[in-house]
Amino acid sequence: MARHSPVTGRYVTIDVDGLEYKVFYLHNGTGTPLVCQHTAGCHNHQWRGLLEDEEITKNYNVIAYDLARHGKSDPPLNVEWWKSEYKLTADHYVNFIVKFCDALELDDPIFMGSSFGGNVALQLALRRPDRFKAVIPVEAADYAPGFFLDWWRHPHANAAQVCASGVWDLMAPQSPDMDRWLTWHYYTQGSEVFKGDLHFYSVDHDLRRELEDIDGKRCPVVMMTGTYDYLTPPEATENTARRIRNGVYIEMTDIGHFPMSENYPLFRVYLKEALRIIRDRTGD
Amino acid sequence: MAIDVKGWASKFKSLTDSDPTIAAMGKYYTCTFMYDMTDRKVIVEMHDGKVKHINTDPQPLDAYDFALRASARTWREFAQPVPKPMFHGIWAASFREDLKLEGNLLVLMQNLRNFTVQFELLRKSGVPV
Repeated sequence: MARHSPVTGRYVTIDVDGLEYKVFYLHNGTGTPLVCQHTAGCHNHQWRGLLEDEEITKNYNVIAYDLARHGKSDPPLNVEWWKSEYKLTADHYVNFIVKFCDALELDDPIFMGSSFGGNVALQLALRRPDRFKAVIPVEAADYAPGFFLDWWRHPHANAAQVCASGVWDLMAPQSPDMDRWLTWHYYTQGSEVFKGDLHFYSVDHDLRRELEDIDGKRCPVVMMTGTYDYLTPPEATENTARRIRNGVYIEMTDIGHFPMSENYPLFRVYLKEALRIIRDRTGD
Repeated sequence: MAIDVKGWASKFKSLTDSDPTIAAMGKYYTCTFMYDMTDRKVIVEMHDGKVKHINTDPQPLDAYDFALRASARTWREFAQPVPKPMFHGIWAASFREDLKLEGNLLVLMQNLRNFTVQFELLRKSGVPV
């Protein structure tokens, strides 16, 4: 008897700002769509725990996609992408996510992302509160400078190991060895895009003057950050949430910047609370 | 009581040389670095994943590729079995605490996997400050 997972994968082709992308996504569950974005330089397998969480997938249609150029989602198929440096922008990132949700005809989805996925969740709440029921920015802040570094793809070093070990202590020492090393393993696979992703994360994403324009009543914003996150430390997230109308901040103890991947059993405790808050605020 | 730096060096070498995670990819882990703990400095010389020598009394012209410099307090936090947030690695402490990374950082990056694994052995060996 084959031991199949209930998680299945599909491809969908979308056009974003004139670029054609064949996007791979994993999904499982029924109910409210819960769209999940992986972290920079990584892929959707970071959500493996959530995708197989029977309690959550009973009421949520969990969809974890690979952003273009990550995992099984190729770079754009209609341009010679190798002739220009990849630098992700907030505009393109937001447009990609909206086009993906439109292609799947998702009705009132919740969007959740971690790190650069968390920062784009804030962008979505600001720009498209009409399209999303709520957002859960994980390990996010209004501004996150300092990580757009040449080291991530320096030709004189092993970029795979630099990326993977460079993010190692973004994780908490208490997180299980297996899950930290799996996350390390994923990070060896995305070294060519990591720096380009971080152009969005550390350079183009800057909402310091726009947080007050996010309406957390129309599109609830529930932010969560781990105490071992040195890149977006808890106070950065808390200060961001405080400036958002009706913003919520949840501090996650003894976990780091990749909570869904480094320690899912602990992360799910906080995620369930975030989903409960969203249900309360949206009347579901 | 004076801290036995030679005893520390012996323990740190033993932990490093017997670590299976370093051994798994130890080939070419060759570099020389300084742990500057303010009240004490040591220079660790690595060759193919093994400790070749630990200089516990560095002199002004003793060479190394790169250095990690921080207060003795920070180094003691690094050495806790479960370090507090922001003392749990060299990136965390250089972003949020007083750790300075100096010298030829390219060599650090070239050896980052094994260097990081070895650095966490301080949680077992302690530090000589």
